[in-house]
Amino acid sequence: MNATIDDTNTAPNTAPNTAAKTAHASGSGEIRLVNLSMSFGATKAVNEVNLTIPHGSYCCMIGPSGCGKTTILRMVAGHETPTSGEVFIGDTMVVGQPPVNRGTAMMFQSYALFPHLSILDNVAFYLKMRSVAKDDRRRQARAMLERVQLDHLHDRMPAQLSGGQQQRVALARALITNPKVLLLDEPLSALDEFLRLQMRGELKGLQSELGITFLHVTHTQPEAIALADMVVVMDNGTIEQAGTARDIFDKPRTPYVARFMGAQNVLTGTVDNKSGTTVVLKTASGEALEVPGDRVNASVGEAVSVSIRRDLIAVHRAETGSTGDVNTIEGVVEATEYQGNFVKIGVIVKGVETFVANVSDQAYFAEPVIPGDKVRVSWNIDAVHVLAKVDAGNEGSPYGV
Amino acid sequence: MSSDRRPWTFFVLATLFTLFVIFLYGPMISILILSFQGPNGSLSFPLRDPSLMWFGEVFNPSRVGDVPGAFSRSFPLSIIVMLLTVLISVTAGFGFRRHFRGSTLIFYTAIASLIVPGLVLSIGVLVTARFLGVSANWYTTGLGAHLSWTLPFGLLIMFAVLGRLNPSYEEAAYDLGASKWQTVKEVVVPIVFPGMIAVALFGFTLSYDEFPRSWLTIGTKNTLPLEIWTMTTNVTSPSLYALGAITTGISFLVIGAALGSIYLIQRKRAGL
Repeated sequence: MNATIDDTNTAPNTAPNTAAKTAHASGSGEIRLVNLSMSFGATKAVNEVNLTIPHGSYCCMIGPSGCGKTTILRMVAGHETPTSGEVFIGDTMVVGQPPVNRGTAMMFQSYALFPHLSILDNVAFYLKMRSVAKDDRRRQARAMLERVQLDHLHDRMPAQLSGGQQQRVALARALITNPKVLLLDEPLSALDEFLRLQMRGELKGLQSELGITFLHVTHTQPEAIALADMVVVMDNGTIEQAGTARDIFDKPRTPYVARFMGAQNVLTGTVDNKSGTTVVLKTASGEALEVPGDRVNASVGEAVSVSIRRDLIAVHRAETGSTGDVNTIEGVVEATEYQGNFVKIGVIVKGVETFVANVSDQAYFAEPVIPGDKVRVSWNIDAVHVLAKVDAGNEGSPYGV
Repeated sequence: MSSDRRPWTFFVLATLFTLFVIFLYGPMISILILSFQGPNGSLSFPLRDPSLMWFGEVFNPSRVGDVPGAFSRSFPLSIIVMLLTVLISVTAGFGFRRHFRGSTLIFYTAIASLIVPGLVLSIGVLVTARFLGVSANWYTTGLGAHLSWTLPFGLLIMFAVLGRLNPSYEEAAYDLGASKWQTVKEVVVPIVFPGMIAVALFGFTLSYDEFPRSWLTIGTKNTLPLEIWTMTTNVTSPSLYALGAITTGISFLVIGAALGSIYLIQRKRAGL
């Protein structure tokens, strides 16, 4: 079981310390989760989570299915009541309150547009529930539809709209409640690739225009990286790491995050030699890894895990490099995949999971390798990032354990 | 070789299906044809001097049974059964959505009641009513016996309909500030309305032509199916067929109206 991580300790640059927070504007869309837990029978879907999402930020929660991200979203929305813990929006503890009183609005994964109402009446639904006169609510709903460029379709039924249009209607229907927090449950998963990229841009633009907090649940890494001011990586009901997209991508805290975000190779060794500016780690298979000394706290004999970004690794045929170098590992090419601007090379290294290098297309075609070739992968000492947690297996690996 | 030529299996299956449809509707078509029998025609084929005289005969209580009287009991009974079936099935369906403790047991008990033979149930209702001092009438014991037949069907349909209702609709309504009652009125009922029409249709038709459960429970005055049954034993004219044609026609009208309204609702939703 992973320990609960409070982002206020682990990601100092994203959120101020919760204890120091005292007053907010009444309209603040800051979301604060305090020791939040949710159990379904014996399963702890969410386990003692602490998190502060600053007002006006775009926060993406990411993790494999069943990690608890959607449950957190639903607890913030008021569609699920926590087993224990508190949810604050602004300064108000909102557990037990209906969504409208919380100032939240949710966009459902399947959009949940009411099939028997025209899109105008779908958008006006909130106003109708508040007994706003027909003419008035239709006028407001049309203004909102105009905002999502769908006013010309206001008398259509939801079944007549494309996926992207339906999503915009769902967005308009949520925004007409004038929320402080917009909650999005995998909003782009039902769209094809092209529309997904387009809507992704529109969501981001809308968020910065409105200045309200967006909490967006996704299982797609590039989506989280592209959209979020703050990325929250979850696993097993706990937060693995919360931080800026750049931190999550470039400075993962744990082997899980390093692998899950899909851009890093994880290696583990024991501290062999600690002298001056470099520390030497010895892997189980005997290779020497050099790490900048100021990044390692462990003493000699202790295990340390490091990650190296795929795009900072060079691949050369075994006969061209010199042997016995540090930060160099020998292996056999398993597969190559042309990606346009780079080539993804999978290398089987003894004692390690498949090692992946993303080599620029120029570098690759200057010295192409094919599956079965013996190669030497190497990297610069500065590319080595030390993880705060020793690798316990293949956690977070897309290849499984 | 042309690509749109149909394989031989198509013709085999089409023939088979045609025979199946004839098998289903053949008997009814025979009755319909023979209801136009002439004055000298018999109860069986051939059809001689087609006429409409037996249709007139149906409404002549002295010659045949009391058809208008039987209809005046059957029709209101079916309407009441229909309304109660919709009301009870829909509310029960909503109740079962909450998966309360013991709900599965109650559901299976309700469905299993369908296997009780109708005639036996009819006797049971009569005996129980006597014991309780209730007189047998179409609107008391008859109504109860019919509901015991239509409610399990209604419940099954509502289960299927509500089972397909995405809970996100209710959550979305809640998210947009609707109260529980507003959610039911503005969202859930409109969405499941076609299913409710289907329940109504079942309630009506099952009650309208119910014989076994009516046998001892409707008291001294017959409903339509019992009247027809009585006529088969003492009426020997084609007016029997004319009556069959008329009642079948009424059933088809009701079914047509129900399916037509479902179709119109779906069409409106598709925005056509």
